[in-house]
Amino acid sequence: MFRTTRKRMLPVVALTASIAMLAAACSDSTDPKDNPKPGGSAAPTSDGPAEKVDRPLVVFAGSQSPITPNFNPYAPTVLHGALGPIYETLFHYNKTKAVDPEPMLGESFEFNEDGTELTIKLRAGVKWNDGKDFTADDVVFSFTNVAKAAYIESAEAVDATTVKLKFNAPSFTNEWAVLGASFMVPKHVFGEFTSLDKLVAFANDKAPVGTGPFVLEAATSASYTLKANPNYWQEGKPALQEVQYLAIDGNSSAQAMMQAGEIDYMSLFVPNPESITGTGDVAMVNTPMDPTVLYTCANADLGCKGAQTDVAVRNALSLALDRATINEKAFVGLAGTISPTFALLGRDDKWIADGMPKEIAQQANVAEAEKVLTDAGYAKGSDGIFAKDGQKVSMTLKVISDWSDYVSATELIASQAKAAGIEVKVETTDWDGFSNARLSGDYELIIGGMVGTSLADPFQLYRDWFTGDYTQKVGTNLEPGEWNMTRYSNKIVDEAIQTAAGTRDEAVKKEAYGKVQAEIVRDLPYIPLIINATQSFFNTVDYSNWPTEDNMFAFPSSWGSVSSGIVLGNVQGPKK
Amino acid sequence: MKFYVRRITFYLVTLWAAISLNFFIPKLMPGNPADIFRENLLRQGGEITPAMEQTIQLLFGSPDDSLWEQYTRYWSNLLQWDLGVSTTKYPTPVTELLAEALPWTLVLVGTATVIAFVLGVGLGAWAGWKRGTWVDSLIPGSALLQSIPYFWLALVLVAVFSVNLGWFPIIGGYSAREFRAGPEMSWAFVSNAAFHAILPAATIVISSVGGWLIGMRNMMVATLSEDYVTTAEAKGLKPSRVFLTYATRNASLPSLAGFTITLGFVVAGSIVMEQVFSYPGIGKLMITAVTQKDFALMQGVFLVITLTVLAANFVMDIFYGLIDPRARQNV
Repeated sequence: MFRTTRKRMLPVVALTASIAMLAAACSDSTDPKDNPKPGGSAAPTSDGPAEKVDRPLVVFAGSQSPITPNFNPYAPTVLHGALGPIYETLFHYNKTKAVDPEPMLGESFEFNEDGTELTIKLRAGVKWNDGKDFTADDVVFSFTNVAKAAYIESAEAVDATTVKLKFNAPSFTNEWAVLGASFMVPKHVFGEFTSLDKLVAFANDKAPVGTGPFVLEAATSASYTLKANPNYWQEGKPALQEVQYLAIDGNSSAQAMMQAGEIDYMSLFVPNPESITGTGDVAMVNTPMDPTVLYTCANADLGCKGAQTDVAVRNALSLALDRATINEKAFVGLAGTISPTFALLGRDDKWIADGMPKEIAQQANVAEAEKVLTDAGYAKGSDGIFAKDGQKVSMTLKVISDWSDYVSATELIASQAKAAGIEVKVETTDWDGFSNARLSGDYELIIGGMVGTSLADPFQLYRDWFTGDYTQKVGTNLEPGEWNMTRYSNKIVDEAIQTAAGTRDEAVKKEAYGKVQAEIVRDLPYIPLIINATQSFFNTVDYSNWPTEDNMFAFPSSWGSVSSGIVLGNVQGPKK
Repeated sequence: MKFYVRRITFYLVTLWAAISLNFFIPKLMPGNPADIFRENLLRQGGEITPAMEQTIQLLFGSPDDSLWEQYTRYWSNLLQWDLGVSTTKYPTPVTELLAEALPWTLVLVGTATVIAFVLGVGLGAWAGWKRGTWVDSLIPGSALLQSIPYFWLALVLVAVFSVNLGWFPIIGGYSAREFRAGPEMSWAFVSNAAFHAILPAATIVISSVGGWLIGMRNMMVATLSEDYVTTAEAKGLKPSRVFLTYATRNASLPSLAGFTITLGFVVAGSIVMEQVFSYPGIGKLMITAVTQKDFALMQGVFLVITLTVLAANFVMDIFYGLIDPRARQNV
């Protein structure tokens, strides 16, 4: 009896042991020193970098398999390689810095006095990659085809290198959309589409005709490859002969491939970047851009309900947060510091009005939080939670269960709030629940993101997220393009934004922003938490001229529209 | 004859019901596809240009037709083998996506399932034959293998054999770097694809072989205690003959039935495996479709799965009717 039992146990023990070994081996992989060096001959994988010299630069930009070859800049499913590497805009707006737009297909531009006309000087001598000339007619066509933006009245070619756009209203605020985000397309290719649905259905997957540094070589469901455009208008660029974009499902696979030297360029959230950069072969830059905040349904007049409709509660909650701990524990210390004015620190500093706080407090101030509540007439109950008129200061905080960093942040927020006598109940939801809640306004608190602006000016964020024109009553879904989830509506903000929209005078703008900032810093419809990390990884052994902290010549993300074309056009290599 | 008519009618009704459910259930799902599409684009790392904002509206604009009109159009399109256009993979027709993904899934999951079955049933028969000896120690081992979470096994295999040892590729159905123009008919490509299939196939085999083994072993033990086996042994037949013709043949019947059903599900792919290995199969399409509310793609994938599962059941039914007269009478 005893013998049989022992015999039966043997294989179990053996298996358990081998699994433990597997697990150990697996955890070893996070230690970069145990890995064969990327590019070393020790790793004979079929994808291995054995053939060093004539290999393409391999990019992961977020495509998932199967890839559908689509190089039509008007299609929502357009591939990253089309926007920048193949198609270009008139100017390049570097969203990491406060610098003037860099001339691309356009050389200069000028608005008229009231912002209803824009005159653009074009670069001469540019050719499409099919050999035809890039002309003012192509530019006019790009702005007036069937996908014309509503604010554009007309466009005309004044002469061979000058185009004049007319708008139906003052349009200073559309500068980036027109000059930095509208891709120039050839009339002789796109001219045949007479309606928007025909234009969108065009996959443009055979030989897309653009002006960019690369042209399409091959596209399959697993990858697509671009090769250098020999007639590119920038002398000596691109240095790369081939660029291959891979489809990868799952960030852990991409991380492993970057570690193994099978990817040269990717942008991805990696909580332990040392596992990739530890060998010194890979460099990382972190460019925090997009804020993470607590949306509060703030406006009782539009139907919001709950304790957070009281500005004192929002302020107390903000004061109770220990953002340093939240960043350290939930965002592994990679997140950036946020400004309560929502101007991006380091880039938009000049827009922060005098007297406004630059950075939000990183430590909790429980005493101050309790004072704010007491002054507003709240009193602590026997359970340690503040209450007024029998109503406890208790709110539900929704978070998407799949977003683990947000989930851990909400747990920290709940315990920090509790220390200040505020009850925050965390409720996990799926994507649909999150989306419905924020679109309809049926929520108390949600942890979510904001979209950072694409140029060094917080205007778009103020207008789209804070003004009364960009919101709806609770129960009515926001329209596409409206982002004011909090239902916040404030006459002073709305008027200041109107003023800022109608001018290019920086002093006038700054004064207007100052008014906005005073209101939103006091009212806190969005409680600022952190700025999300955006990590990009580069193979610096075989390739050089990547963006660095000191020379951030373009937004470094591999998925960045326009900017990825600038980055890839600049990179040198591979080294022999 | 009546048996077959009844069976065929039953399957036709089931087919109609399944296809109709296939149409209605996705429509009942909550959530706004346009919104999900936009957010996915942002989260996957992407920027929405002003031009795209316009076209997303066009692509996802809610249809004005009534549900009934959509339903009848769905049927008429279906009969012309037109499954619509995918929104997440716009503008590729769903049929094209399915045609591209099916061969990968069928070959990989199909082969792995057959290997797991043959291996499991073979070992199970042997373990049953040698019951009471050291071979019994296979049982707890295979039970453990079977209970290992599938995705975990896949991740461990990748971490050990691909990342650490570098023996196998990390992802893909073939080396995208060597075959930039896509699949081709050449020996080099086939061997490359086979090499890429080793780890995914190993995942499936390791995690499903235990089930077959235990089932077969238990049936074998039961069969070996039957009187006719004792009789065969008493007659002095060769042990190999008793093992194969008397015991294994009878004991494998339930396993064979189960195998046919499993084969029906092969087309569903192996969702987790395909996700971990970025394998270009049907399971991967299914995840994309469901998470991103791509109705046309979802209906297409479910249709293919429904059809094959029903077909496998049908074949099984007819087959049983042929070999077992009792099945024909009891219906």
